[in-house]
Amino acid sequence: MRIRTVALLLTLFGMFVVLSLIYAQNAPEASEKGKEVYENSCAHCHGTEGRGDGAAAENLLPKPRDFTRGLYKIRSTETGELPTDQDLFDIITEGMPGSSMPGWETALSANDRWEVVAYIKTFYDGFKEAETPPKQINLSGKVPYSEQSVETGKALYTELGCIECHGNIGRGDGTSAPDLTDEWGFQSWPANLTQGWNFRGGADTEDIFKRFIGGLAGSAMPAFEGDSFPGFGLTAEESSRMIELDNKDEMTEVEEEESAQLYEKYDAAVDIALNLAEGTELSAEEKQIYDDAMKVVYEKSWHLANYVKSLMPEKRPEPAIGNNVLRSQYIQGELPEMDNTAWETLEARYFPLVGQIVIEPRQFNPTIDAVNVKSYYNDTEVAFLFMWDDRTHTTDETDDETGKTLEDALAVQFPVKVPQGPTAPKPYFLWGGRLPVYLWHWKASAPEQVTELTAKGINNAEVQEAQGELQVQGTYTDGQYKLWVKRALKTDDKKDLQLDPGVFVPIAFSAWDGANGDVDTKRVMTSWYTFVLEPVPSSKRFIYPPLIALLSVGFLFGLRAFVQRRNSEEA
Amino acid sequence: MKSYLLASLTVLLACCYIGTAFAADSDAGEMEMLVFPEKYKAMAVSNGGTISGVVKFEGDMPEKKALEITKDEKVCGADEKFDESLVVGEGNALKNTIVYLIDISAGKDFDKDAKVEIDQKGCKFTPHIQIVPVGERLTMLNSDKIMHNVHIFSKINKPVNKAQPKARRKMPLKAVQKAEGPVEVKCDVHGWMSAWISYVPHPYFAVTNEKGEFMLEDVPAGEYKLGYWHEACGTNSKAPVVVTVEAGGTITQDFTLKLK
Repeated sequence: MRIRTVALLLTLFGMFVVLSLIYAQNAPEASEKGKEVYENSCAHCHGTEGRGDGAAAENLLPKPRDFTRGLYKIRSTETGELPTDQDLFDIITEGMPGSSMPGWETALSANDRWEVVAYIKTFYDGFKEAETPPKQINLSGKVPYSEQSVETGKALYTELGCIECHGNIGRGDGTSAPDLTDEWGFQSWPANLTQGWNFRGGADTEDIFKRFIGGLAGSAMPAFEGDSFPGFGLTAEESSRMIELDNKDEMTEVEEEESAQLYEKYDAAVDIALNLAEGTELSAEEKQIYDDAMKVVYEKSWHLANYVKSLMPEKRPEPAIGNNVLRSQYIQGELPEMDNTAWETLEARYFPLVGQIVIEPRQFNPTIDAVNVKSYYNDTEVAFLFMWDDRTHTTDETDDETGKTLEDALAVQFPVKVPQGPTAPKPYFLWGGRLPVYLWHWKASAPEQVTELTAKGINNAEVQEAQGELQVQGTYTDGQYKLWVKRALKTDDKKDLQLDPGVFVPIAFSAWDGANGDVDTKRVMTSWYTFVLEPVPSSKRFIYPPLIALLSVGFLFGLRAFVQRRNSEEA
Repeated sequence: MKSYLLASLTVLLACCYIGTAFAADSDAGEMEMLVFPEKYKAMAVSNGGTISGVVKFEGDMPEKKALEITKDEKVCGADEKFDESLVVGEGNALKNTIVYLIDISAGKDFDKDAKVEIDQKGCKFTPHIQIVPVGERLTMLNSDKIMHNVHIFSKINKPVNKAQPKARRKMPLKAVQKAEGPVEVKCDVHGWMSAWISYVPHPYFAVTNEKGEFMLEDVPAGEYKLGYWHEACGTNSKAPVVVTVEAGGTITQDFTLKLK
């Protein structure tokens, strides 16, 4: 009996050891420190198991990365390769603009960030199993930025099909844009290439080049690797000739022969590239063919990167505060219509938009970056030009969840009465409260119309009985809305804002992207900014200053004469 | 002493139970996959047998779901396109079912002359189901002369997402070395395009035609597990049919599948 008990105990102990070993195998090898930092700083979004399913994930788009698949968008490595440790470190340090991922440079020490890198790698076995370091994209041979390079890149942008998702001039409004999803089935908007400050992995030409060649793993963005290029292995001239022949309805015998020869060369080069990728040793001759082919491909890719770079301003515009407040410029005579070139001479003011997260339903994932505004006024009227990028033109979609009609829209908000002085209270920025606001509400379904509203709260807006004489024009072209509104400076309606030159007027915006589910309080917006009808320098400046100068000089002469006379009398 | 023993036994049993629960969990994802032999040896097969049959669909005749063509109408919308995840023909014949041998370890080699291609024509992948031998290149054709991208959602092999611009007519893809499948192929540019490929280590795979028919030829005599996979109806990997093939003989094995 005793022996049996001991035997049983030993068996149980044996089972326990085996089980512990089985479970121990799944334990991360990275340090406890990495786990601790990860669980304190990263797990809220990325989940304790690294599946991208932390508590906050539900409300985020783009979704936090699921680390268990080894798919990383921002890499310095070729397509299909894992990122380098440095890539992961850089993303943690700098964050991902345009997404919810913040930079951790100040919040975590460099050491902690490296620990986190080691820890997140434990979520995907591929890192451990990899026998060779990931193949990095070759950045040598950069083609410097030039007009010529941009021109070449522009042609490639069309030829390679970038337009399909990124749109004619890069605003992310291509015809495939609304239907794109990522590897996990979530909506995935193509980048607006005119807004480099929202690029997840940076907008240097090198960054663009890397994204283009390596693709963004896990997203819809494919890699344009080597033999993706039509005419791989041909010179630039040969490949354009090949495409030219391809596009002919009928070829002569000679042309057919020529085309066949080009294709033969092309197929041979592709074969070499695949052999290399599959691990076959290349002969010296094949290596030469491959290197030459890649040189052409890389050169084209640099041209393309230069073109994309040309689409964006050098840096993000400064918000319209301080020296940048919106100043309506005075002109004499008629105010320019929407398509008048007079608008081009004005620099737009930039009003960044953020998601409305105060009142439900909220918008955590804005798709509209900002509204840009210009303005002119004359003795009786003021005209505004509002411009904002939106990847989709939505006028009557139905929201699956609420059944509400979704459409693109913009609201411009002013106080009904301008606060007297800088410390006087403004109405609550969310469509007013105790102090009411005066609104222009424009909808994409009625582009030639603006509705005037008075509001005392975000859910407490009333259409004004007397709709003023607003003139309106609205258009949508290549991913951008333009709205032109003209109104009299003074109106008879007491619920309207009355405008005087030189008075600083609070102004704020709300915008809706129907395709992003924006409706009612779910929207993007600004808080209060300022605009002013820039006062006209008065013509009296030609009379008073010289007069004062003259009087001053006269006074001085008089004084001198007086002093001289008294001195001589004393003498 | 006894109660202590009992308690530790209970705890251990609980541990084991939890352990099996985990094991079952990790299996769940793989249930929909094909099952491959660990090793396969290619050899000459003489006087092999044949397995043939018909796969039928059981259930209400599904309605044809027309695909919404949202762009490139001229090329993509020339004819009406239908969702191919469930294609049921006359007499309930179920197209696009993979029927295969699960546990064959030696048999014939692949037909080296067979073309392993998927065409992108009219913004549709043809065929919808393609079998790709491990180590062979899958060639993507672009008959459309418009931009496509080949997005292969592999998990065991490296996923592929490669642009195929309009002038890129015939794009062979790098061969993969691990058996895996089926994995979906999509085109992000035209979101409705969908196909399935399977990277397989042996040639005993058949895909049913419009009449639901399949045929596996040159099977060495022996007993085999016969499996199937269908996009909408699932697999029988957990309980495959066992068949006995006789030298030179032909056996018939039909299947009737329901929606999973």
